[in-house]
Amino acid sequence: MLHCRPGEQGSLWAGLYILLRHSARGQYDKSTMSHLILQQHVSPELGAFPHLAGFACRKIQQVHLNSFPVAVSGCLQVWYVQEGKFEWLINQRQEMLYPGDAAIVLPGQSIGSEKGWLDVGTCWALDVVPEIFEAGNFVPGPWSGLPPAESRAIGRLFSMNPNPVLARFTEAAHLFDELQRELVSREIGYTVRVNHRIDDLLIGIARQLSRQHQLQRDFPQTFLKLERALRTNLDQQWLVEEMAVLVGMGTTAFTEKVKAHTGFTPLHYLINIRIAEAIRLLKNTSRSVTDIALSTGFYSSQHFATTFKKLTGYTPRQFRTNHTGLSE
Amino acid sequence: MECYITIDIGTSAVRIFAFDSNGKTMAFSKGAYPTFHSEPIYSEQDPEQVFITVLFVLKNFLTEKINPKKNKVVAICFSGAMHSVLPVDRHGIPLGNAITWADNRGNKEADQLKKMPLAKKIYEATGTPIHPMSPLIKIAWIKRHDKERYARTDKFIAIKNYVIQQLTGACVIDYSLASATGLFNIHLLQWDTDALNFAGITKERLPEAVPVFFADMQLRKEYQVSLGLPAKTKIIIGASDGCMATLGAGVWGEGKATITIEQSGAVRVAGKNIIRDSQQRFFNYLLTDGYYVSGGPTNNGGVIFEWFAKQFGIFNEAYGIEESIDRLISEAARVPAGSDGLLFLPYLLGERAPLWNANARGAYFGLNIKHGQPHFIRATLEGILYEIYSIGKILETHRPFSTLSVNGSFAAYPLWAQVIADIFGKPVSVSSSSDSIGTGALLLTQTALGQFANLEEAAKTVSLRETYQPNKNDHQVYKRYYQIFESLSHKLNDEFASIARLQNS
Repeated sequence: MLHCRPGEQGSLWAGLYILLRHSARGQYDKSTMSHLILQQHVSPELGAFPHLAGFACRKIQQVHLNSFPVAVSGCLQVWYVQEGKFEWLINQRQEMLYPGDAAIVLPGQSIGSEKGWLDVGTCWALDVVPEIFEAGNFVPGPWSGLPPAESRAIGRLFSMNPNPVLARFTEAAHLFDELQRELVSREIGYTVRVNHRIDDLLIGIARQLSRQHQLQRDFPQTFLKLERALRTNLDQQWLVEEMAVLVGMGTTAFTEKVKAHTGFTPLHYLINIRIAEAIRLLKNTSRSVTDIALSTGFYSSQHFATTFKKLTGYTPRQFRTNHTGLSE
Repeated sequence: MECYITIDIGTSAVRIFAFDSNGKTMAFSKGAYPTFHSEPIYSEQDPEQVFITVLFVLKNFLTEKINPKKNKVVAICFSGAMHSVLPVDRHGIPLGNAITWADNRGNKEADQLKKMPLAKKIYEATGTPIHPMSPLIKIAWIKRHDKERYARTDKFIAIKNYVIQQLTGACVIDYSLASATGLFNIHLLQWDTDALNFAGITKERLPEAVPVFFADMQLRKEYQVSLGLPAKTKIIIGASDGCMATLGAGVWGEGKATITIEQSGAVRVAGKNIIRDSQQRFFNYLLTDGYYVSGGPTNNGGVIFEWFAKQFGIFNEAYGIEESIDRLISEAARVPAGSDGLLFLPYLLGERAPLWNANARGAYFGLNIKHGQPHFIRATLEGILYEIYSIGKILETHRPFSTLSVNGSFAAYPLWAQVIADIFGKPVSVSSSSDSIGTGALLLTQTALGQFANLEEAAKTVSLRETYQPNKNDHQVYKRYYQIFESLSHKLNDEFASIARLQNS
């Protein structure tokens, strides 16, 4: 499990902590949109949320040196800019954030300002510690209401997204505002509400990210990206739902679009790619049929052989001898 | 019922038609495969995916649409995209991806050859303009820059040949596809020595060239079984997609030309003589011995209108790119011919015919304060068609034509067909078949089976629907604007070169 501890080297909260000490505003008032910094193990507000490393609404009225150095994050961080203009280095990319923009930083990625400090303005930050976040798998934890397949799809979408900034993601303002209110007021049912808002935020980001693919405008282009994702993860099982999420569509619309564009259902199209790659491996390598079957995403060599024979009339072994010139 | 099947292995998809013996379409299926661009100027396809897609679509097509109705498949005829190169080893196994027509990695090799006196000789012998699209240039590039692959290559084949080789075991190329390689002497019907020398290969590195009616092939036994086709099913090698589209549009002999607008576009004529253009602007491809399809290709066809639709079209949940294009076209129809003086140069992808300038770029010209969004839509459409006209205009100096037939998904829009009629000032008919390539392959099949004496007779049977008559006033309007379009296209040469240099740096 990944942890972000306050004050730990490499944690974003290290910088904020220093800043907090510099700031005269150690206390916060109970209205929303006020300066507020909550940290796990320090702030009682987060006691009910072990999966939150921190929550902050930062109003910066004065620049503090070394308040925001570039550091690797151990958490899933979501930032939202309310006021001001911030120039950050996120995952080694120079990014400019304006009011209404959000940024997402994955565990293992870095964020900070090259100058080392936060500019004047207002921004929100949320630090979530996922139970698992790795290639092809994302498990937020028991607090989340997302079904496993959907959180896996969201994880894939986050990992494959090259651009950490979501432009004009204004719905985040509302969610952060509510999160803050709930965390501070601790009214009845607040734990449920807080966890729901975090789910809402993840869902909102996922939808916005997939919309950024501009799929309506350029389905062939979008489809090419999906195709690349499928090819690089060919050994994995794919549900139609997961493919649809990657391109930001509902399953029904996605299936229809793919059918119109390629002439195949998404799963049949995937079989095309699997078989094509299997043929390449049969011809070019001496790897065993079982090995090829598994690396091209078939459950077993039987499953592979049946599918292969149904399509080509050959068993994979026959195909190998017949199409490599060895028999000719 | 007896039926004929045509399989077109196109740039982005395989399209399969079944026709009955009266030439009526019985069924259609398609399946797409992707093009990869690992570098901006590269265009590649996975030969195994193309093959498996063809096989998959064909199998479903037969088992769902043909075999249950007790139809008997008499023959299968192939067509395919031109200019692709796939190096295979001595077992026929692909060495990497196939390189498609749109790949420009051979830019330098093409420029180098163009500067040599040999260029003219090769062009005249092979009929293919010197351009990175041609396999001649691509093979020269592989020899220089991909030495390992070159050394392992036994033969350089085309994607269509690969599919046929997989299905039948025969490694042959038809005259038609061969004539688009830039390596085939279209007069002598054999591989051209000068071209082979420039590419750096011997003729043993290419498949045997055979007539388009060649049918000395059989499906491999396993495919006979899995597809449910008897051994005696005639497998006809067929021709290139461009030649098939021309034949299928009924364009044969004097006085006729055809315009195809898909992603790219082309203006073509067909006849017994080649076109000798001193500036080497036109291709002369073989349909079959002694019959040539000549013309010029443009890069900037429907793809440019699609680009416009993607950037400026209206989208919402319900509308995809197709609906957006429909809406834009109906908006364009409300703007008068000539777009009130807004002109568009469509050279977003550089240009082949007639400029043959890879550095050419797009521009809107003549903007004034009264122009609105609908003017841009119509100007874009008109710009694409002025460019088509610029090919047709020069082509006509070699081979006059009085009627035009148009085909392809964009040319089939009534507004596009009408604007073509108005710009050319000639009547335009739209091919009755939804797919001229399939029709062409059917005519070729029927000729191979002896139902027609020759392709000329076959072409006469093509029926054309909907004729669009040119509007005299609009023709005059377009004529005046076209002069500006044409002079801009040439006048901006230096600026094209400068901006392309900056964009490429």
